Amino acid sequence: MPSLLKLDNLHITVEKNEIIKGVDLEIKSGEVHAVMGPNGSGKSTLAYTLMGRPGYQVTGGKIYFKDEDITEMEPEERAQRGLFLSFQYPVAIPGVTVASFLMTTLQSLSKTGNGRFTELRKNFRKNFKENMALLKVDPQFATRYLNDGFSGGEKKRMEILQLMTLQPQLAILDETDSGLDIDALKIVSEGVSNYLNPERAVLCITHYQRILNHLKPHFVHILAKGKIIASGGPEMALELENKGYKAFGVEEQQGVSL
Amino acid sequence: MKEALDIGKGYKEKYGFHDEEKSVFKSKKGLNHQVVDDISDHKNEPDWMRAFRHKSLDIFLSKPMPTWGGKLDDIDFDEIFYYLKPSDHKGQTWEDVPAEIKRTFDKLGIPESEQKFLAGAGAQYESESVYHNLKKEWEDKGVIFLDTDSALRDHPEIFRKFFATIVPPDDNKFSALNSAVWSGGSFLYVPPGVHVDLPLQAYFRINAKNVGQFERTLLIVDKGAQAHYVEGCFTKGTKITTNPDYKNIEEIKVGEKVLTHTGQYKKVYHVQERPYTGDLYTMEFYGDATQKLEVTEAHPFVAVERERINERNRSWKRKWLPACELSQRDYVAIPIDKRIESSHQHLVTVPMGNGSHGYKNLVVPVPSSRSFFRLAGYFLAEGSVSGGHYLNFSFHENERDYIEDVKSLLREVFQVEKINETHHKANRGTNVVVCSTALARVFVALFGKNAFEKKVPEWMRWEEPVKQRELITALFRGDGNYYFGQNKHGRKELFRISTISETLAHQVRDMLLRLGTVSAINCQKNRGGNRKPMFNVCIGGEQAEFFGALVGTTVQHKLNGKKRATMFHIDEHFAYLPIKKITKRKVKNLPVYNFGVEGDESYVAGGLAVHNCTAPSYSTDSLHSAVVEVIVMEGARFRYTTIQNWSANVYNLVTKRSQAFKDATMEWVDANLGSKLTMKYPSIYLMEPGAKGDILSVAFAGAAQHQDAGGKIIHCAPNTSSHVLSKSVSQHGGRSSYRGLVKVYPGCKEVKSTVRCDALLMDKDSRSDTYPYMEIDEKAVSIGHEATVSKIGDEQLFYLRSRGLSEEEANSMIVSGFIEPIVKELPMEYAIEMNRLIQLQMEGSVG
Repeated sequence: MPSLLKLDNLHITVEKNEIIKGVDLEIKSGEVHAVMGPNGSGKSTLAYTLMGRPGYQVTGGKIYFKDEDITEMEPEERAQRGLFLSFQYPVAIPGVTVASFLMTTLQSLSKTGNGRFTELRKNFRKNFKENMALLKVDPQFATRYLNDGFSGGEKKRMEILQLMTLQPQLAILDETDSGLDIDALKIVSEGVSNYLNPERAVLCITHYQRILNHLKPHFVHILAKGKIIASGGPEMALELENKGYKAFGVEEQQGVSL
Repeated sequence: MKEALDIGKGYKEKYGFHDEEKSVFKSKKGLNHQVVDDISDHKNEPDWMRAFRHKSLDIFLSKPMPTWGGKLDDIDFDEIFYYLKPSDHKGQTWEDVPAEIKRTFDKLGIPESEQKFLAGAGAQYESESVYHNLKKEWEDKGVIFLDTDSALRDHPEIFRKFFATIVPPDDNKFSALNSAVWSGGSFLYVPPGVHVDLPLQAYFRINAKNVGQFERTLLIVDKGAQAHYVEGCFTKGTKITTNPDYKNIEEIKVGEKVLTHTGQYKKVYHVQERPYTGDLYTMEFYGDATQKLEVTEAHPFVAVERERINERNRSWKRKWLPACELSQRDYVAIPIDKRIESSHQHLVTVPMGNGSHGYKNLVVPVPSSRSFFRLAGYFLAEGSVSGGHYLNFSFHENERDYIEDVKSLLREVFQVEKINETHHKANRGTNVVVCSTALARVFVALFGKNAFEKKVPEWMRWEEPVKQRELITALFRGDGNYYFGQNKHGRKELFRISTISETLAHQVRDMLLRLGTVSAINCQKNRGGNRKPMFNVCIGGEQAEFFGALVGTTVQHKLNGKKRATMFHIDEHFAYLPIKKITKRKVKNLPVYNFGVEGDESYVAGGLAVHNCTAPSYSTDSLHSAVVEVIVMEGARFRYTTIQNWSANVYNLVTKRSQAFKDATMEWVDANLGSKLTMKYPSIYLMEPGAKGDILSVAFAGAAQHQDAGGKIIHCAPNTSSHVLSKSVSQHGGRSSYRGLVKVYPGCKEVKSTVRCDALLMDKDSRSDTYPYMEIDEKAVSIGHEATVSKIGDEQLFYLRSRGLSEEEANSMIVSGFIEPIVKELPMEYAIEMNRLIQLQMEGSVG
């Protein structure tokens, strides 16, 4: 299987603090990877950096996407190449409806000359309706302002709706499970499963094992203090759930969230 | 009333003040009582108005400049023309309006309407516009909608009763100034119970250097009536087509006239070259192989989207579409210039003499007759001048009919007595020769000397179609042929006119459009040796039938057993050509050109109507100081919408005030873009119980701009309610201020008022201030005030960019969203203009 994402000894510094201290990771098409780790281990930093958030500096190593070095690329250039980040805390854009936001985005992406986006734009309305139905989102959300006054669960569903609309090749899910009740988690997971196919991959960043029951990762990595300290199969997530991070030699910090 | 084009009417103005400065009277610079007298004299005003002006001038001179608000020090009142009379004769009816200003004065503008599904967000414009005019039915209902000067003359009682009652001259320095020198503006009276359901629109434009605009608007909505008045000031132009030489865009100069999408020639007032980095689109289209068009991605075209891939469209719904949204097979529209400027004769001046005794000019009258046009057609096809003295027409010897026709035309048109025929055995040619230096020089002067330079002179291009038809017929006889060939689809038939003059080919194409037929131009470049490229104007398909009838050659209705068909389409105003190929490439810092055209901001490039994307800027500071007075009587409802985009050197100091009586509703919707300094606070006096007032204000301050805007609500009666929503955006160091007043007089119980002002700062150099004044002299009231200042957040930007939007697009989206609560109150067609203006502001490409 061809390589989608490859991290080569990645170091990330945010506001002069080195958060990620040498991470190697390879994700191939068709794979689901889970990155787990205690609070403050650098999970979200990793997610933001992969998407190119300004201020998140790569101070060492490289990020390759489909064998192309994207380390220095702008966020929109990464999106154009098929990278997607489902935000842990999606941002509200008042005054911009969900439908117009997605349509404008597809228009913008089509301008890059990528026929894939032109197709998506053409079929936008049909797909959009279907996806909303699949995610059990009330159709009136199309005309609501993006994430403006949405509940936590609604925001997460919107993220997955965007994922299904933009059809990227690699989806990074940053704690998409947090704030979701059991039913919502199931619906969201179905959305992700629906999105997956042998050409695509998912990198699921999570605190808890429960979303992995639905997503069934092929690989699980434990991130602690900026490094991947263990990698294994799905069984490792269960082990972590049962024994805690201590079993992997990690002192979980005080004030664990969620 | 002439039928209106339904594209881009938004850029023409009904009550505008533009077009060339053909003022018959322009007051001297500076202001004194003499100027006021001159104005009154020229307007033939009643004495009371003259006295009013003088009194106002005294007030103006006695009042100090305001020290609050914005910086006004740079206004030099002595450097301003206070009165510019647009024409010596003011038309009683539209028919009487002088022709050169009629174009802008007799049309009401309708900007593009918005695509409905995604209102406010997309780059798609739907130009389905409604023609708004003061319809006859309104007149029948007694609605008066006039310019203010006419209203003073024609409706003196009602005018005097209300004029200056809402904004007296001593209100402030600038209302005094306006009162002293006012000119133009609109007057509206809606009689009791009458509902005017479409917005009444008026457009304003500053067009002459140094001319302050002092329009005066008075609007009276009588009991139980309803109306919506829209005032626009888009600094946009009409489309321009350059003729007759089809110039390259970089050769266009200020003052030249270009063809616009409405099929008229308008003056270029502003040429801009700017470096462009981004996608450049190259477009080729069927119907003109000689033109390749290169445009920036956002450049809009009048176009029609293709309905089915392999079938010609059945409906032709025009839209403005940016280049990046056009695809192969969509149709682009060519505007057809249908004006007719006819005359009986045309004088041609030619120099005579051989030089040794000097030259003297000879004036030769050329009759503008059908016969002359036919002779011209023969000359364009077969004519030449040799030795400076001989006029030749070359035919094949068996084209006897044509030879005789030319001879009789020469006799008829120019009374030529001696016509020779020469015969050339080798090529079986027959020449018709006239020996006349004068005539030879006339033909050269009119049509050009060499075959590759031949062209139709300007005046002949706008003559009556019946005459032009003669020209085409003769041209076809000489240079035309009827081509047929066989290919795998069957038989192919075409009429062709071939010429080595590229200009002539395009002129013929345009003339055929006027005659109602679409042709296609192709070019044979490699013809061997040093032969010049040949341009063929081809007429095929269903157009062939039409052309056949035109030139007297009948063709069968059916071809290959089927109805003839072409890929083109033509209607009253446009011809539609499918796009053959559209490609794009990335460029960096490439100089691109754009220009502003009076009236509309569009022009014709490569034959296609495109929309300009810049606002004009003027070289000297201008002052705009208007007064608007509105009276909304019992139970009536009125909304006044303004969208202004002044050029960056205008001081916009406007007094807008209204009074709302019992149970009446008054709404101001006020959008301010551009200008150097805007100070504008629309106010509503709620005079009687049940009155309601709404103010929606949006301001956008860019570099070196200060928007000091807001509103005033005065509760003068109990049980009145008001709502103010203000949104301001500042970027690139721009400054916006909200300045508002809510006043409640003692005893006005049960008053409700909410004020909300939101400011958005795009960067750390920009500034926003809020000055909310509250004077509440009554306890039993409910008053709410809320103000927010937000900065464009990194979080928001990153979120949008992670989905694929560029930083610019993301900024623009956030701003559009921010002002959405106000934009959604605008009529659709204005909403789209507003969004487009915002986008342009965000791109930094305007003002």
